[in-house]
Amino acid sequence: MATVEERVKAVTARVLGLDSKKIRPEDNFTEDLGAESVQSIELVAMFEEEFGIEMDEDAALSVTTVGAAVDFITNVCKEQGVDVEE
Amino acid sequence: MSTDKKRHALVDAVRPNFLEEVFPYDLPPLIRLKGPVVETIDGQSVQFDFGAVRSRPIVITDTTFRDGQQSRPPYTIEQMVHIYDLLSRLGGPNGVIRQTEFFLYTKNDRETLDRCRALGHKYPECTGWIRAVKGDFRLVKEAGLKESGLLTSCSDYHIFQKLKFRSRQECMDSYCEVVQAAFDAGVRPRCHLEDVTRADIEGFVLPFVDRLMEMSAKMPEELSVKIRLCDTMGFGISYPGAELPRSIPKLIYKINRECGVPSSRIEWHGHNDFHKVHVNGATAWLYGCDALNSTLFGFGERTGNPPLEGAIMEYIALKGSLCGIDTLVITELADYMRSIGLPIPDNYPFAGRAFNVTSAGIHAGGLRQDERIYNMFDTGKLLGKPPRVAITDKSGADGVVHWVNEFFGLRDDDRINKIKVHKMARWVIDQYEQHGRLTAISDQELEVKAKEFYPDYWAKYREGK
Repeated sequence: MATVEERVKAVTARVLGLDSKKIRPEDNFTEDLGAESVQSIELVAMFEEEFGIEMDEDAALSVTTVGAAVDFITNVCKEQGVDVEE
Repeated sequence: MSTDKKRHALVDAVRPNFLEEVFPYDLPPLIRLKGPVVETIDGQSVQFDFGAVRSRPIVITDTTFRDGQQSRPPYTIEQMVHIYDLLSRLGGPNGVIRQTEFFLYTKNDRETLDRCRALGHKYPECTGWIRAVKGDFRLVKEAGLKESGLLTSCSDYHIFQKLKFRSRQECMDSYCEVVQAAFDAGVRPRCHLEDVTRADIEGFVLPFVDRLMEMSAKMPEELSVKIRLCDTMGFGISYPGAELPRSIPKLIYKINRECGVPSSRIEWHGHNDFHKVHVNGATAWLYGCDALNSTLFGFGERTGNPPLEGAIMEYIALKGSLCGIDTLVITELADYMRSIGLPIPDNYPFAGRAFNVTSAGIHAGGLRQDERIYNMFDTGKLLGKPPRVAITDKSGADGVVHWVNEFFGLRDDDRINKIKVHKMARWVIDQYEQHGRLTAISDQELEVKAKEFYPDYWAKYREGK
């Protein structure tokens, strides 16, 4: 099974039209990866779909970097009893 | 004037102060006035107590069927009777909309009046409107009306250029003959001082009003002359310091205090040629004129008159309560007027289809958090129209989610969040970025997409509606 980080990068690449290999944990979704307003919403929606979780809207949208998203999603998965590869 | 600067210390707070004593939300924002207000008139400082308006018996009068019809094709009898009925409901049992005036010249005019009165409403009282011709009082008398307006134009433009009098004296004598004819017919005359804001106030208007007061003194109170101050061309100025004849404060002061016409017998009739029509009317109230003449949605000769619904909101704001007014009727009237072909601009305050609709995503975001942020008062409760968003490329996901929640009527915990509307938000953005759209997306288009993207919500909240 792919790790949370790999899956987050894959979703990010698909939504934003990027090469997943070039996405780094420290990348900021908006400033480095160019996510526009609606794309931020789409990212959160796609993360929910990918991991089978539900995230708090405000908390999820306040996450700014790929690495922070990995941590945030990992925690939500734990809280909601979803097994993931860390 | 002092030029000393003053330091202002921050009043820190961890809880918001929404200033609800001024912005109660379930009412239009209140207008709290503290006096005195000082105006210099003829070199003397004169004080006005604006705060007294809260207890003064100010009223709204209506001329939708007279001036309001001078800017559009005639209403049918049925239309006028229905509008009259709605006006009565709007103004409520206290008669906030106190009077409305009717032409009396044609068979249809008289039938309309009869049918309106047959409804049995106490308010608005029906009054007439006639030329300054003695014989016309026969019409008023035959109609059984107690009061009628009559044209007593008072600028030299009217006296000499329109009415062709040879002198002001001849003009005044002629007017007074008609007023006497009204008295003789047992009809209260309401003298419409046409073009008063372009008249010689000291040289003609005040001497004429003095004479009317002398004539009235010999008559019972119920027949005494009323004065309608007609700002025929919209020249009136509300600010202190303006000079006569354009100054509304000075004009009302002189009519009220120098000529002694009680406030209850003074009425302001404005026009909107300079975009001043509503505030001029409210100013007249504050300076001592009790009646503000208006028309529904401001329709009237040329640029129109004080909008009645604006006067209604001002009234509530000044009084601090609804006073029996049913504000929901404003929306009913607007819908009815549109249905009979009267155009009301979409952005027209209180009544336009989009008066509280935003298309800015940032405003939609605010509305989603707390509708009070971008809604002036509880428009859902008072006008039956909660705030809405119009969807464009500027709406963002905030706008889309607000639209979706309003469309499905979702409240509180049932409201869906932005994440859930990402497909619809994407579709909206693509309309502009991929398809080059330049217009707003209509509700009908969005409804189709709402059904497509949210079949469960559609089945639960829209099926059968």
